[in-house]
Amino acid sequence: MNRLLSIFKRNPTIVLAYVLAAAMVIIVSILRPGFGSITHLRSLAIEGAVIGLVALGQTVVIIGGGIDLSIPWMLNSAAILMTVFTRGQDSEMVWAIPLVLLIAAAVGLINGSAIAFLEITPIIMTLAMNAILLGIMAGVASGGLSIGYQHGAPPPIVLGLARNRILGLPAVVWVWGAFIVLASVILSFSGFGRRLYAIGNNPTAALYSGINVRRVRMLTYVLSAVMSAVAGIILAGKFGRAYLGMGEPFLFGSVAAVVVGGASILGGGGHYLGTVAGALILTVLTSLLPIFKLPAAAQNIVYGLVVLVMVYLAGLSRTSEV
Amino acid sequence: MGDKTIVTQVVSGAKSTAGGLRQGVQIRVDIFALVPYILLIALTATLVSLNSRLLSIQVLETKLNAALPLMFMTTAQALVILTGGIDLSIGGVLSLSTAIAATQMGETLDSIVMWSLIILLVGMAAGAINGLIVTYMRVTPFIATLATWSIWAGVALFVLPKEGGTIPRLLKEIVQRGRLLGLPKSVYILVLLIIFWLLIRRTRFGTRIYAVGSNANNAYLSGAPVKRTLIATYSLSGLLASMAGLYRTIQYSAGSPTAGDPFILTSAAAVIMGGMSLAGGRGGVVPSIVGAVILLLINDLIYFLGVSTFYTPMVQGVLLIMVVAIQSLGHYLRRRRAVQ
Amino acid sequence: MADLELNNISKRFGGVVALDRATFHCTAGEVHGLVGQNGAGKSTLVKILCGVVQCDGGEILLDGKRLNFGSPSDGIASGIGMVFQELSLIPDLTVAANIFFGHEPTGMLWGISRGALRQSTLALFERMGVEPIAPDAEVCDLPLAQRQMVEIAKVLARDPRVIIFDEAPSALGRKEVDWLLEYVRELAAEGRIVIYISHDLREVMQVSDTITVFRNGRNVGVRRVEEASTDELVSLILGRKASRLYSPRETDIGDEVAMEVRDLRGGVRLQGVSFKLRCGEILGIGGLTGQGQDELFRGLFGIQPIHGEVLISGRPVHIGSPGSALRQGIRLVLVPEDRATQGVVAAMSVAQNLSLAVLPRLQRWGLVARDRERVVVEEAIKRLSIVVADVNGPVMRLSGGNQQKVVLGKLLATKPRILMLYDSTRGVDVGTKAEIFQLLRQLVAGKGSSVLFYSTDVDELINMCDRVLVMRLGSIEAELSGEALTEENVIRASMGEAVKEGAYTRPPPVSQEVTSDRSS
Repeated sequence: MNRLLSIFKRNPTIVLAYVLAAAMVIIVSILRPGFGSITHLRSLAIEGAVIGLVALGQTVVIIGGGIDLSIPWMLNSAAILMTVFTRGQDSEMVWAIPLVLLIAAAVGLINGSAIAFLEITPIIMTLAMNAILLGIMAGVASGGLSIGYQHGAPPPIVLGLARNRILGLPAVVWVWGAFIVLASVILSFSGFGRRLYAIGNNPTAALYSGINVRRVRMLTYVLSAVMSAVAGIILAGKFGRAYLGMGEPFLFGSVAAVVVGGASILGGGGHYLGTVAGALILTVLTSLLPIFKLPAAAQNIVYGLVVLVMVYLAGLSRTSEV
Repeated sequence: MGDKTIVTQVVSGAKSTAGGLRQGVQIRVDIFALVPYILLIALTATLVSLNSRLLSIQVLETKLNAALPLMFMTTAQALVILTGGIDLSIGGVLSLSTAIAATQMGETLDSIVMWSLIILLVGMAAGAINGLIVTYMRVTPFIATLATWSIWAGVALFVLPKEGGTIPRLLKEIVQRGRLLGLPKSVYILVLLIIFWLLIRRTRFGTRIYAVGSNANNAYLSGAPVKRTLIATYSLSGLLASMAGLYRTIQYSAGSPTAGDPFILTSAAAVIMGGMSLAGGRGGVVPSIVGAVILLLINDLIYFLGVSTFYTPMVQGVLLIMVVAIQSLGHYLRRRRAVQ
Repeated sequence: MADLELNNISKRFGGVVALDRATFHCTAGEVHGLVGQNGAGKSTLVKILCGVVQCDGGEILLDGKRLNFGSPSDGIASGIGMVFQELSLIPDLTVAANIFFGHEPTGMLWGISRGALRQSTLALFERMGVEPIAPDAEVCDLPLAQRQMVEIAKVLARDPRVIIFDEAPSALGRKEVDWLLEYVRELAAEGRIVIYISHDLREVMQVSDTITVFRNGRNVGVRRVEEASTDELVSLILGRKASRLYSPRETDIGDEVAMEVRDLRGGVRLQGVSFKLRCGEILGIGGLTGQGQDELFRGLFGIQPIHGEVLISGRPVHIGSPGSALRQGIRLVLVPEDRATQGVVAAMSVAQNLSLAVLPRLQRWGLVARDRERVVVEEAIKRLSIVVADVNGPVMRLSGGNQQKVVLGKLLATKPRILMLYDSTRGVDVGTKAEIFQLLRQLVAGKGSSVLFYSTDVDELINMCDRVLVMRLGSIEAELSGEALTEENVIRASMGEAVKEGAYTRPPPVSQEVTSDRSS
């Protein structure tokens, strides 16, 4: 419990994020009664879960001082591959899911190695990888794969994640909850987590303390790719199918959730719990748009402004503690 | 043990570390600087051998028309990267430019001129805002321009929710049809762009751009107005992006709220292909434009080799990684050399 | 009324007082030397003068006019030029572009004329009377000596009213130094105000007309060079204060060698250093900053490539990376005030910092075992007497001295064979320094560890170390031990002066006086 409180103490912007999210929900529920209905909140939770899962990998990478811009197409690739491999059968999942995750890990390994060992800038490497995955999927999907994924549906279990409910909450939310716990434990209590924060905050000190900076950095990209794959599978379940371009909104969205959640874009600070708040804020903001009769365009504008404000505030609070 | 008096003194005064000033300092021959040009020649040769029709005037003119927006975007990106930053918002500015042009321009010459100026001003203002955010709000360029990209893309969507709109025929006439002294107008536009850059490079402002990218702190110590230089650079970037947007609108005779998105990666890729490092301070706009041409030629190559054009991003990505890896190797070798 | 007056200048950096109501007056037409130890305030003073740093209080008057600088460009505009110790050159620009940066000659057509730039550069070198450096060469390709010449040329190109030389000739050869000293006098003769800061006392006396000594952020003496002697200057620099007196150490260190280095060269300044570090010894490295100590330590820790031989316990080793250094049992503690190199992870708690270097030992199933961590943390706190209210609180809340103790504690937990401390006590209060001293003594007592200790605080050097090697111009100038290990000798050696043999300070009968407050 102490650890939990200390996370909030050390990252005031995370608290701000939660307060903001809660405030928005409450205010809007008062102004528009339909907003606070259980059904609506449930669908919000699903949306939040997806962004939250996508942003988990990004959180880890950003804390370590990097950035992963290959998430959109890693996500998309995993969704497509899963649909094609399983051909809609639950039984195939036994080998299909691990294979997809393994492929994702391999992609992450390539990203991570290039960035950590060849010292290629993360922005360029991951953007390039994004393009590579796009090219592969688009090229291959226009061929035989198209039948597989365009007309195929994910297996029932995956579909069920979005549709079924356990104890009143959609299954996806439970999955997210499990990951929240896992991520928080790893970040706050594990050796890996310690090393990660050290590297993101002061790579020199970390290096001199005997931490293998390169290896940890590389692992963050592996984690991010695997989480993107998980999110892709779940997203395919939510939509009922996989399609080209389903990952696009998450390029900005994943970074936004992390940054709005109070993590410093430069690394070394923040926590996944913050990203959770960030994901919730973004989700609520999106759902506000139709309510206030704003066009979808406003979402982009609002996201951009919110990110700017949060980054600026986080920057201020950092310099003040110097 | 306790030694009583132990003093050892090594006379070091005689050692001359520099050995006098040598006249012949090796002028750096950057082999890496030649790579883009070599690639350009190689690609052109390969393409021509595959399809000799490529050298016809019509085809070249069409290609140049198609390439101009990317060239402008690449120039914009190159300027910002020279200062050590990156500009992701140029995509949004381009989209917004096409949106405004496609919805607001009337058929009269007055309307065309007025709205063109407005679009250019909007682009410059967008860039200036980026500059202000980076210098005064102290937000890193990546996140700052990622956020502003989203904002401008949103405004673009607002102005023009779906691809479409109309472009005054007159505009297309002026800019695209006809020839001046036997050459298509697009050639003049490209030449003007390059001259524009060469002129800037010769000014004190141009030197300052390189200085800030090379070592912003030392530039500050040497009296350079770092903040002003950055804001001006980002403003130029925005201006160039809006020009690219105008041209693209003319090309397609329509606007599109997402027109700018693909340019973000390709402009950065072109700059890197041209040999510039993201760290800034070195390189130039002309090699970056060559890089843009290389990327376009690769597209053509893929097409002529019979490979599905869907694979283009993949090839571009792989090439980009290879180029950056070689750059990284170059840095590593240079650091090792500095030990001597 | 002097031509240049700095009155009552004060400046603090965080908790450290760099200048304390300092005064400095200069006259035009003469060379004014400025000397003092590291941290005495000389660099800060001149940085304030040229606008790089803003003072907290005080005034600057040039020719009677009050100056108000917000940035270096203001200083440049007022005719003040500074040759920076760390060089203010822009690496990717050419020599000519650097020299005329900000006031490049424009041509007839448009913008900067490259031809005029080149011509002006060559003309400038000719006026200076030196061999010209290729105007189109890029600065990053030049060796340090040439870069220093370019820096000097750059300042001269602006024809400034006030010129400050901050350790200008540190890498120049004999011939160039001679040229510089003569040229400096010429510049002053032209009516300018010339301030000359140098590590070499002989050099300063050769070139200056007046010399000001700074100590602890204040002006402690101004002398005409005809009336001053090196002895007097050295004593002003040192200060009339009581040193912590003690008797020659009763150690039997033995001859077993923990680490031996032979002819280490590397970076731009390391020019050949050889020594033996014996087991159980605290070996000090002294000398003014920038004499190669940085490269030495970085090289031994594998951060910087160096040539030469390194033997650990008699076996030749190659330290190519921090990883290999750590494997050899070498640990490095760096300067606390430099954000980039400080050893604490600011975002983490005291406990997390203390346990950072031994994480593998503390892990159970990948998670950090709290009980094991608590043991390590408590032991470190006890051993180092770290003053901390809440071990889980942010480490930044501790005082500077305690933060350094945390860094030390972290590394000590790894049971290092060779502990290297590089200026790690800068800005640390006297009491904490004494505690660290005790701790290091304990550490080496068992002969399992040895310490390599670099400090710019001379007092600390002679008290903590068994032997001190003073570095100058990239190699070892003098080795001092026993009775020759005195502050005066260290300073003399740092400045290229001959040391006094058999210098001996008699220990007092009973009490040990504590050193005066030095906030370096």
